[in-house]
Order: sequence, then structure tokens, then C-alpha cells
Amino acid sequence: MPALEKYQEFADALDIIDDEDMRFEYIIDIGKRVKDEDFPEHLRVPENIMHGCMSQVWLVNNPKDGKNYFSGFSDAIIVKGLVSMMVQSFSGLTAAELDELTVEHVQKLNLGALTTQRQIGMMAMLEHMKKLGHLGDAGIQTKEKQ
Amino acid sequence: MTDSGNIIKLRSGDNSCQAFDVESVRKDFPILSETVYNKPLVFMDSGASAQKPTAVINAMDDVYRHYYANVHRGAHYLSQQSTDAFERAREKVATFMNAATADEIVFTKNTTEAINLVADSWGHRFLKAGDEVIVSEMEHHANIVPWQLLEQKIGIKVVVAPISDGGELLMDEFAGLLTDKVKLVAMTGCSNVLGTIPPVKDIIRLAHGKNIRVLIDGSQSIVHQGVDVRDLDCDFYVFTGHKLYGPTGVGVLYGKLDILKTMPPYQGGGDMIETVSFSGTTFKEPPHRFEAGTPAIAEVIGLGAAIDYVKDLGQDRIAAHEQGLLAYATAELEKIKGMRIYGQSSDKAAILSFIVDGLHPFDVAAVLDRQGVAVRVGQHCAEPLMHRLGIEGTVRASMGLYNTTDDVDALVRAIIKAKEMLI
Repeated sequence: MPALEKYQEFADALDIIDDEDMRFEYIIDIGKRVKDEDFPEHLRVPENIMHGCMSQVWLVNNPKDGKNYFSGFSDAIIVKGLVSMMVQSFSGLTAAELDELTVEHVQKLNLGALTTQRQIGMMAMLEHMKKLGHLGDAGIQTKEKQ
Repeated sequence: MTDSGNIIKLRSGDNSCQAFDVESVRKDFPILSETVYNKPLVFMDSGASAQKPTAVINAMDDVYRHYYANVHRGAHYLSQQSTDAFERAREKVATFMNAATADEIVFTKNTTEAINLVADSWGHRFLKAGDEVIVSEMEHHANIVPWQLLEQKIGIKVVVAPISDGGELLMDEFAGLLTDKVKLVAMTGCSNVLGTIPPVKDIIRLAHGKNIRVLIDGSQSIVHQGVDVRDLDCDFYVFTGHKLYGPTGVGVLYGKLDILKTMPPYQGGGDMIETVSFSGTTFKEPPHRFEAGTPAIAEVIGLGAAIDYVKDLGQDRIAAHEQGLLAYATAELEKIKGMRIYGQSSDKAAILSFIVDGLHPFDVAAVLDRQGVAVRVGQHCAEPLMHRLGIEGTVRASMGLYNTTDDVDALVRAIIKAKEMLI
């Protein structure tokens, strides 16, 4: 497993913040930094929706040289922040490396400011990324709006 | 509204209407003194499930501490005690709804089961392919899906009565749907999303004029305005205990006795039979025919305590308090720029569904939560209504007898904070 630099950066930042309201605002700020153009309209197709979320979440993988590079989006800012953290944290890994990620990786992000439901959503997102990783290995590409 | 039908105008800090001391009432609900995220709890999610007064908690505690045993079975003292209390609760429910007899009160686990019971038992007995059941566009899924299952099983047709943009049932269109094919109208007594209170009495009168049975989903309406089933003349009325300040796990199906008597059992098991043999089993009369297995004993008794509590406070006074709050909350929310309130019916319960322009409802609800304000967000088990309104979801603040103008002020402050944080 390579060093997860971006993941560690998020974990450290959230660890330093000792106020849960501030952690909450940190996630909102990350969400605000994701612009519409970062995840163009043509990618927001039903095939890229991650089902089971309370807000809409789109997640795509652009695998290159056996490694997976994710991008994602949501129509809700807080979820957008979480998606952004996840795709930044775990891009650049192979499908096998993604498989090594566990619930503990999500828990260590110290997202206590979030409801349990949202934390479960984060874990579901991780599982979805693993699935996309394997699809990438099989050469299945991200869908785009025609 | 007051007893005389006038809405009481509440102002900030003006927490009680005449003859309703909400501060005193709040002391009956221990959970309301809790804090969340180090902030005072502002509970505005009673439409999902209401909080419980000490009287209910104590009643259930009493059952388990002093006289718990299975009902309708034992030959011993405790069983007699619990059976008496259980059947007393049935009497309380019957009196509360003004049913003709306690035999018209069937205990279920919730509203959903009550509607499924009617769909399965009455539906299979009296409906055939081609018959129609009318529901409205603003129904909870619990009053849609059981009829859709019947649609799949026996080929009935679910017909949808439309609503206006403001969320009121379009009565002319509704009346036009009442053809010879229609055998049942299954209608909400109060929309869980919009707060709309449809003209239920007119609906029943129109339907009965064409020999059509009527089921009213009273989950929200019984909480806000009570019910008199004989005055309404509905054939079925269903509600759940947990929204009426009672426990979870208990609901009620009211059915006119002559109709219940014609219905076959819903589920088979203990307590609903007269005799069982392999050559043939016979069933009890209603209501026990529909109560297979050990019921939710302490919960039924707890529901009885909740009804005592509500009756002691007075449903007219509760309604007046809530109407005052609704008027105050509506006025205060409308001051927020970008506020869109869904549900503009002139007859409306203290339920406020809204969207703030530019903000996702989930984000708003998440910020409200961090401010200690508990609301519901999403589609509220009413996806067809969301499609009708052209939205994906709302934030819903639903108020109960213990809410105050201070709660409304906290809600408004939290929404303003959400705007500051999210935009």
C-alpha cells in the first residue's frame, strides 16, 4: 500500500480541529471548493449515480496504467465535501490496493461531526470505489451523456 | 384555532395561548430537557414520531414492574390484570374516536399494518379485477403501496385524485372520479408533508352517495384535531400510537362493526381462533379475529395512557395552541429570503415543509441538526407528491403540543445560520 498522502492530510487536519462544529464547517468548506466544472454535466448521468444516498452522488473512475483515478460530485454541499475527500484520498491506487482499505480508514478521518447515517454513507462510497476499481481492471469505462 | 374557531396570534416569546400552559406541558416530556451537541434540543420532528410524556413512560413501566403477563390466556391473577388493562385501553381508544363499540377497535402494530390489513382482508373479499381504489396525490407510501400490491395480485386499479399547486385536493376532479367502478376511497386525513387537511367529511359524503367505502389515514390528523368516526361516518380509520405521544409498535384500525364482521382473518395464529382442528378451524368475532399472536401488551396500555394525557389537556386547546404556532412559524419563515413553503391550504396542521432557494434540503437539515434543531428531510415517504411538486425533497418542521414560539425562533435562527454557512 503506497502512502496515502492526501488521506493523511485530511485526517491530520480533522484531528487538529478539536471542535466538532469546526470539523463540520471544514467539510462544508471542502464541498464549496468543488465547482460545477470539476464534474461536468455530461458525467452526471444515471449510470454514474451511486444509489442508496439521501442526496444524489455521482462517482466515476478514469483508470490509467492499472491505477484508479476517481472524481465525484453531489447536489448537496456537505456530501460534495465528503465525496471530494474520498476521491482525493483514494485516487492513484490499484484495485487490489483499494481492496485493502477498510472501515477503519473512514473512521480514522475523525468525522464525528457527521451523523452515523452519513458515516455509513462514507463506507458505502468506499465499497463503491472498490467496485469501480475492479470494473476499471476489466476495462469498463465511465459512461458519458451522449 | 380556539374553541370558537379563531386563530390565536402568537408573538415571539409569547409561548402559550390562553388556557394552554405549554411551559408546564413541556415538563411532562423529560426528553425535551436534553441537549444535543451541547445545545438545547428543539424537537420539530413530531410528524415522524412524537416524544412521550412521563405518564406514558410510567404506564409502560408499571406494566412490566407490577402486572405483566400475556393477555386473554392465563388463569392467573397477573394475566387477568394485564387483560383488563389491555381491554380498558381498547375502550379508551373507542371513546376517544367516538366509535360505537370497542369491538370496532383492532390493534395493529402501526398505520401501515392497519392499511395492509384492510387491503388484504377487505380487499380480497370485496374487490375484483377492474374495480378501482382512489387515493390522492399527497398520500404517504403506506396508503399507496398496499393498494398497488392488490393491483398486482387481483387486477384492481389505483386511481389518483389530483391536488392543486398549493396542495389542496381538487374536489371537482375528485367527484368526477367517483364512477361505478370505484369501490374504495383511501385518503389521508392530513398530509404528512404539506399539512393539508382535506375536507374529509365532504369526501365521505360524496363517496357514500355512490356506495363507495372510505378509509381515512388518520396518522397525522388524529394528532392535530382528534376524530369523531361516527360524525365522519367513515368506514375505516387508521392511525398509529407513536405519533399520538404513545409508544411505537401499536396502531389502530377502526372499522364499522358490520364491515369488520364480513372480513376474513388477516393473519392466522393464536388469539384469533375459536377452535382449531385439522378438519376445520373457526375464528373469533372482531376485533380479536384480526389480532393473531401475542399483541404489544405494554404498548397498547401505553397508548391508553397517551390518550388519557391528550384528553386531559384537551384536543381543542392543543389544536388552538398548534394553530397559533403554525401562523407564527409561517409568518416568521416567510421573512427569510428565498424561503419556499410547500402546502398553502387554508385548512392545515402545524407541519411546515420548505426549501430555501439555492440550498439542498439535506444541507439545511444537517446545519439545523448541528444547531440542535431536529427536523426531517427528504421525500417523507411521499415520492409521488414530490414528483407532483417537481422537487426532490423538502425540509419538514412538524410541531406538536409541546412546541413553543421559542422553538420557532430557534428554527429561524438555524435556517439563517444555514444560509450563512452554505452559500
